[in-house]
Amino acid sequence: MIVFENVSKTYDLGVVGLQDFTCHVGKGEFVFLVGPSGSGKSTLIKLILKELEPTEGRILVAGRNLGTLTQRKVPLLRRNIGCVFQDFKLLPNKTVYENVAYALEVVGEPRRMIRRKVPEILSLVGLSEKTNSLPHEISGGEQQRVSVARAFVNHPPLLLADEPTGNIDPETAVGIMQLLVRINRTGTTVVVATHDREMVNRMRRRVLQLDAGRLVRDERRGSYDQPTDELGEEA
Amino acid sequence: MRVGFFLSEALGSLRRNWVMTMAAVITVFISTVILGGVLVLGENLNRGATSLENRVMIEVFIKDETTPQQQQEFQQRVLAMPEVKEVKFVSKDEALRRFQETVGSYVTKNLPTNPLPASFEVFVNDADQVDTVAARFYDDPIVDNTPGTQDGVQYAAKTVRRMLDTIDLVRWGMWAATIVFAVAAVLLISTTVRLSIFARRREVEIMRLVGATNWFIRWPFVIEGFITGLIGAILGALSVYVVNWAVADWLRNSVDYLEAYVYPLWWQGEGWPLGLLPTLAVLGGVLGAVGGMVALRRYLRT
Ligand SMILES: Nc1ncnc2c1ncn2[C@@H]1O[C@H](COP(=O)(O)OP(=O)(O)OP(=O)(O)O)[C@@H](O)[C@H]1O
Ligand SMILES: [Mg+2]
Repeated sequence: MIVFENVSKTYDLGVVGLQDFTCHVGKGEFVFLVGPSGSGKSTLIKLILKELEPTEGRILVAGRNLGTLTQRKVPLLRRNIGCVFQDFKLLPNKTVYENVAYALEVVGEPRRMIRRKVPEILSLVGLSEKTNSLPHEISGGEQQRVSVARAFVNHPPLLLADEPTGNIDPETAVGIMQLLVRINRTGTTVVVATHDREMVNRMRRRVLQLDAGRLVRDERRGSYDQPTDELGEEA
Repeated sequence: MRVGFFLSEALGSLRRNWVMTMAAVITVFISTVILGGVLVLGENLNRGATSLENRVMIEVFIKDETTPQQQQEFQQRVLAMPEVKEVKFVSKDEALRRFQETVGSYVTKNLPTNPLPASFEVFVNDADQVDTVAARFYDDPIVDNTPGTQDGVQYAAKTVRRMLDTIDLVRWGMWAATIVFAVAAVLLISTTVRLSIFARRREVEIMRLVGATNWFIRWPFVIEGFITGLIGAILGALSVYVVNWAVADWLRNSVDYLEAYVYPLWWQGEGWPLGLLPTLAVLGGVLGAVGGMVALRRYLRT
């Protein structure tokens, strides 16, 4: 589903985003992306969305080489990727409902389906009460859940989530994770960047650990910390 | 295409950004008032010039004792001249009737005889030719000159030509002004739209990230620009029309010989057939739509 071959991303002034990163994520996998702040998790996700261009290397998503993908095809790529953004990226002038519906309008979903699917997903993330609120009228955690709902509502084959539980209380966070798992069971590939140690440890899924833009660990059924770490030292 | 969705997007954004909308509407309004004003003034000058040109007419007064035969012969001779467009005979009775019309019948009621001479009205093709043509009549035996003068032949020569020259000059000046103002209008509109889009560039970025195609993002902006342009232009056209109408009305009532042309609102039929409203509305709408598209361009590239 996702192939990175020796990908590097250097920002202006030589800031390293990603360094010689190579990995392969198969169809239907569930992957955690961990690493300290500034290690390149968001950079990786932006590269998959072709929001950024790599400085070096090759990226394939669903068999398509992003380097040769024309600008006109980019919207098509993005419609097949649901993304929960770290900064939510909600449309400020649209209500919660309209924000979620936008992802469906974009793909030309019939009006009738939109009216059915949006309330469904909103109740799934526990936002039925906030349907007609504007983003600035709801809390950070609620905004995050809207972002989650918008990413899921299409049932895309690939789901990227950049800290989907960052601003959410543990209970709702568990609910969101269960939702991710359920989506994953329907065949969707899921990539989650997170700092949520407890969650990663509980789920025991594949873990990719980044440090200063480099892949330092790729472990099947891994935990948040390196197995060699002194337990609890860094907690 | 999701017309309903795009339309409601456009209307919603017009309502939300109403300050910007007002600014854009006013810009279009001012531009169309200027363009409309030029249109109306230009048309009036054109018509004025044409009617002046048509009025470049030589009056040839003839002696009472000429016979109908002589008159006919004269008419034929004049008509044969290549410069001459038309020759009209005004009989003594006709001359008296016209005179009565202008001064009132009580003045002439008690005249024993009709003192007015008959005349020929000679119309020439080109105002520049009046001198040459008029000169040919000066010494014609049929002409009723006061002895020693050539006052049997009369025409408004120099003044008319000077007026026509002035009108030509003004007309050129107005074309130049129109072009300058049209360019200014386009710049103003696109600046206004660009400002409003600059304020929303984050929104555009988000739309792109969730997979909206360029046209999906563009349509609401284009519709928004179109509506803005349309409203401004309709207001502009109506204002120009009302002012045009009021000035013409005032002229009619206060200055006898001056008549202003009121540019029709919907349809004028000749030349450029559309009236003020459709002309300016189409112009405003298209300008607005293009402005929206042009201003968005830089945000739709990655
Ligand atoms: N637009 C940018 N311009 C310049 N440098 C950037 C830009 N975006 C990110 N960086 C830098 O690239 C590095 C990786 O950033 P990235 O956002 O990928 O980290 P992250 O792992 O997502 O961190 P966090 O856990 O805090 O979200 C950081 O050093 C960051 O400062
Ligand atoms: Mg990040």
